[in-house]
Amino acid sequence: MNSQNVFDTAGPDGDRLATLAWLLFGGGLILFVAVLGFLLVALYGAARVRRTLGNPRFIVAGGIVMPVVVLTALLLHTLGLARALGLPMPGGEPPLRIEVIGHQFWWEVRYPGTLPGGGIVTANEIRIPTGRDVVLEVTASDVIHSLWIPALHGKIDMIPGLVNRRTIRADRPGAMRGQCTEFCGTQHALMAFMVVAETPPAYEAWLDRQRLPAATPPQHEMGRAVFAAAGCGGCHAVRGTEWDARIGPDLTALGGRLTIGAGTLPMNEGTIAGWIAGAQDLKPGNRMPSFANALDGPELRAVSAWLESLK
Amino acid sequence: MTPTQALPNPLPRPEGELEALEEVWKRPRGWRFVTVVNNNWIGVLYLGTAGLFCVFAVILSLLMRAQLTVGGNDILEAGTYNQVFTVHGTAMMFLFAVPAVEALGVYLLPAMLAARDLPFPRLSAYAFWAYAIGGFFFFLSLFWGVAPDGGWFMYPPLTGKEYSPGINADFWLLGIGFIEISAIAGAIEIIVGVLRNRPPGMTLGRMPIFAWAMLVFAVMIVFAFPAVILATILLELERAFDWPFFLSARGGDPLLWQHLFWFFGHPEVYIIFLPAAGAVSMIVPAMAGTRLVGYGLVATALVATGFLSFGLWVHHMYATGIPSLSLAFFSAASFAVAVPTGVQVFAWIATLASGRPRMEVPMLFVIGFLFIFVLGGLTGVMVAVVPFDWQAHDTYFIVAHLHYVLIGGMVFPLLAGLYYWAPLASGGGLRYGRWVFWLLFGGVNLTFFPMHVAGLMGMPRRVWTYPEGMGLELWNILSTIGAGVSALGIVLLIADLAKNFRMSSGGTDSNPHKAGSLEWLPQGNYNTRSIPLITSRDPLWDQPGLAAQVEAGQHFLPGTVSGRRETLVTSAVDAAPQYIAIVPGPGWAHVIAAVGTAGFFLALTVQWVMISAAFGAVALAAVLYWLWTGTDLGPVRGPADIGGGYTLPLYVTGRDNLGWWAVVVLMLVDGTVFGCVAFTHIFLWLSNGPESWPPSGTTLPGLMAPAISAALVAASAAVVMLSDAVLKRGGRWAVAALLLVALALLGAGMGLDLQALWEAGVRPTAHAFGASLYANQFWQLLHLGIIAVMAMYVVARIAAGLVGAVRRVSFDVVRLFWFYVVGQALAGLALTHLFPRGAGVA
Amino acid sequence: MRRFTIIAALLLMGCGEDPVPTIAGGDAAEGRRIVAAQGCTACHVVPGSGAPQGHAGPSLQGFARRGYVAGVLPNTPDNLIRFLRDPAAIAPRTAMPAPALDDAQLRHVAAFLVTLR
Repeated sequence: MNSQNVFDTAGPDGDRLATLAWLLFGGGLILFVAVLGFLLVALYGAARVRRTLGNPRFIVAGGIVMPVVVLTALLLHTLGLARALGLPMPGGEPPLRIEVIGHQFWWEVRYPGTLPGGGIVTANEIRIPTGRDVVLEVTASDVIHSLWIPALHGKIDMIPGLVNRRTIRADRPGAMRGQCTEFCGTQHALMAFMVVAETPPAYEAWLDRQRLPAATPPQHEMGRAVFAAAGCGGCHAVRGTEWDARIGPDLTALGGRLTIGAGTLPMNEGTIAGWIAGAQDLKPGNRMPSFANALDGPELRAVSAWLESLK
Repeated sequence: MTPTQALPNPLPRPEGELEALEEVWKRPRGWRFVTVVNNNWIGVLYLGTAGLFCVFAVILSLLMRAQLTVGGNDILEAGTYNQVFTVHGTAMMFLFAVPAVEALGVYLLPAMLAARDLPFPRLSAYAFWAYAIGGFFFFLSLFWGVAPDGGWFMYPPLTGKEYSPGINADFWLLGIGFIEISAIAGAIEIIVGVLRNRPPGMTLGRMPIFAWAMLVFAVMIVFAFPAVILATILLELERAFDWPFFLSARGGDPLLWQHLFWFFGHPEVYIIFLPAAGAVSMIVPAMAGTRLVGYGLVATALVATGFLSFGLWVHHMYATGIPSLSLAFFSAASFAVAVPTGVQVFAWIATLASGRPRMEVPMLFVIGFLFIFVLGGLTGVMVAVVPFDWQAHDTYFIVAHLHYVLIGGMVFPLLAGLYYWAPLASGGGLRYGRWVFWLLFGGVNLTFFPMHVAGLMGMPRRVWTYPEGMGLELWNILSTIGAGVSALGIVLLIADLAKNFRMSSGGTDSNPHKAGSLEWLPQGNYNTRSIPLITSRDPLWDQPGLAAQVEAGQHFLPGTVSGRRETLVTSAVDAAPQYIAIVPGPGWAHVIAAVGTAGFFLALTVQWVMISAAFGAVALAAVLYWLWTGTDLGPVRGPADIGGGYTLPLYVTGRDNLGWWAVVVLMLVDGTVFGCVAFTHIFLWLSNGPESWPPSGTTLPGLMAPAISAALVAASAAVVMLSDAVLKRGGRWAVAALLLVALALLGAGMGLDLQALWEAGVRPTAHAFGASLYANQFWQLLHLGIIAVMAMYVVARIAAGLVGAVRRVSFDVVRLFWFYVVGQALAGLALTHLFPRGAGVA
Repeated sequence: MRRFTIIAALLLMGCGEDPVPTIAGGDAAEGRRIVAAQGCTACHVVPGSGAPQGHAGPSLQGFARRGYVAGVLPNTPDNLIRFLRDPAAIAPRTAMPAPALDDAQLRHVAAFLVTLR
């Protein structure tokens, strides 16, 4: 689940880029060996061979003709490949549109049109159906970030004031890791996310669950009260409650995500508690304060349990 | 053997000639050594300081490697790590790589060109001191935790005031200021020196390849550094005064920074590489004992690299969402630059093949260079392939690539050069070269090769830690071990230098490598006793007896004709003798000016405005004093015989004068900055779209005011022309009065435009439109200030009787720059008032 | 660095007189894996872990030598497992939520904790 390997692909464009990489490595290796071979011959070869290498025509052949031929071929191949990348799937559904907004140091993920007059909002996790083109519309709210899901495609920068698009498609279900690749401040290193590709029915089922507002069964009333008293709603939204702030991640279905702290820790009641108590310990410099001094033990457990129950 | 009577000067030489020459070129002793200006001494100081800064930056890299040995390490916390990698990158690029190759040029060029000195030795010395002082404080910022932490590329908005409120970013923006100044000062020295200080007969086609490389290097600095100069000015204006160049909410665009930065940053790589390649082209023939095969191809390749490197900047921006058509263009251009590099690699191989290579230490480093650099070049082609770069970009694959290119392409050639040229500067030879080589070669490969793998396994750059489970552990441990091995190599290198390097005043009498180029002539502080007549590309091979003739004083200018330091000036293309330029000797003015310059920028960084102003005033006063006493000495004596039938003047005016050439280079720098101002305006216009440029609610003043401004500005040029005519007729006070009138006209024209803009309600803080217009105003008013100082200087010299119909270089230089400023002002007016209207969007 | 110290300490410990303690049915290596997968480092410093480590709870360094679990129960394997199953049942004011682990997993975790000396 933690793989972020360029060769550990999950979709057609990822496959194409991996193949391209192998092609480049193979070609590069041949050229490297050839140049070193010439160097060795120039140093230690037989006099006759060395005389041939000492001719200015050798420079023209090796330094001009060879690179021009190789690089022209490579350029043509690349242009063809670039056209194939992100081509819509023949006969496929219209692409699914997902908006991803980079923040210091987390990801806001929006699914426009999934709710009347809006859409569900989640964070640090992009769920996509397999076998369908997905257009990621990316931007940033503060500084420049870059979205990278090596299993599916290359990077695309998230730039304030500009919307960039990258079309991805996963062939096979599974979870894969992505990360911010443009230096964005103190905790750039801990700004990761997960992409979860699911079969279309599983994806629809997930979407349906996400559409539901947050519920607070009686055993979680205390947790909700702690949330209110600690002022969590000043930064966070929980759909179905009075809290609708957009400074931090939407927590409507927090417990259903795979990680907390943008890929920093796995998601469960314990890590939620740990994050609330010591966010500044775990990810110094992120925007969330540590609440260890504000909440006592039972309060911390209650609010963590409520948030974990939201799935 | 050339017959003795064919040589420029006969034997025996007059009594006392050599002693007089030694006396004028004497090096200051004791604590006065800081006043030294000879390029060969400054060159060594410069190289040593660059080496020291490199060691500091290496220590930072060892800290980073220690931190990354395992995931979740806590040697450096996140904020500190970010400062460390930013200072490492910035220092390596600005405080080590560029100064080191510039220093190599400053050190070697006078010897290689058999010049007494390059034309502006005090300028080189000034550049060195400003750099050395500023560089030390830049490193010291780490100890107060105020070192820059936004990466060496400093992308806004992260580096803007909102997300970097501390002075860390200012340390970068202002701290880089003096590096920019010293790089440009060095470039002026090198361009004018290479073009005008060659020995008679050394046509461009006979110039050593290293001189070609330094010439291309310096020209590239002239065109590349202006972009980063403007970028730093804009970002500092945004941070200090809230002019929103890069803030998208107010019409700015973060990508503007990236274009400006990489328009500098990509050529920067070749700026670093070309001099190193030039050094290799000198070492390889000497080690192989044969001529460089393909001299013309290599010289052409250097020039071609210089040109092409300005077309590649976007290949650092493949992931920014740029349209795919432009991507294809930049991809092709990035491929193209591989060709001239390939030409050089194959020329070196061909040269080795046609000679009998000796496996001495410099040769080992050359082979190590080829191995590492070719690998880095190949990964460079890979990342030029757009789709591959989308995966590799900003991962450790790039960290590996850039270190292969820069260590391979610059550090190994520099070390080859160190071991090759050490006998020139040192009494004793270096001894541990082979050990240093193997430790560094093994260490560098072990450090950086695994990073390719780590990058492809998903390790991004600039991370202070990485999680478990990504499989990165092994590769990082290998890299850390490799860093340790490299560090051992560096320690051994330092030991070798400390133990075996003994600075001697002029090098040795011998030519230990049996090389063919002029730096291996017998040397003193005056470089060669007489300046040789050159008839071949490899004079020491083709002109037998040259060393003895030069040493005996049988070639040109074997002594001093004026009793001062002199250098022979020749024509740019065919190196025909033109005049004898008097060059300044040791002095304090340039040292004080350097302290003032560094102090000005450093005090500004920590926001001590008054102290900063005081430093600035000291610097200005010192520069004026230095110019007043050290330049435009007038005809100190009549034309003098230098031998070979040449009787040359010691004072020329007009286009042959070296000062005129320096101003032309400076104008190219300024013009390029202004070009970047125009680019900024047009880029932001494109980024906002014509309908919001100017933004709604903002209107430009009518065309009446700018028309009057233009007329006033143009009139100022006309008045300067008039003053020129008056000066020719021997006028004195009239010239001074006319200059003051011209200054008033220029000031009125620029002031009127500023006032019109302000009264029309355009404000720099409201929108990028206004910010861009006022950036133009800033640049124009800066030039008004410079012209004002220049005008007052000439008026003062007129008052002192130092300017007249004959002695008029100061006037000529100011006049030339004045015309430039007027032209730039008119272009600036057009940019402000005509550009959006001309595009049909008034 | 931290991890090197730990590895070195573990190696040295192997040479010491105390045999590595074990818990029947518990696999310390499996326990270490579970601790990492659960993210126990969110609150505890876990020796040898490369993940970000919080300080909301006590460090687990030297846990085996601690006298009491949560300052309440004598530190025996059974008590440890009891506490881990439902911390609040042992220490009602604790901040520690119950980990979502079954008994076999808890046994592995306990087996790991008792190796931390």
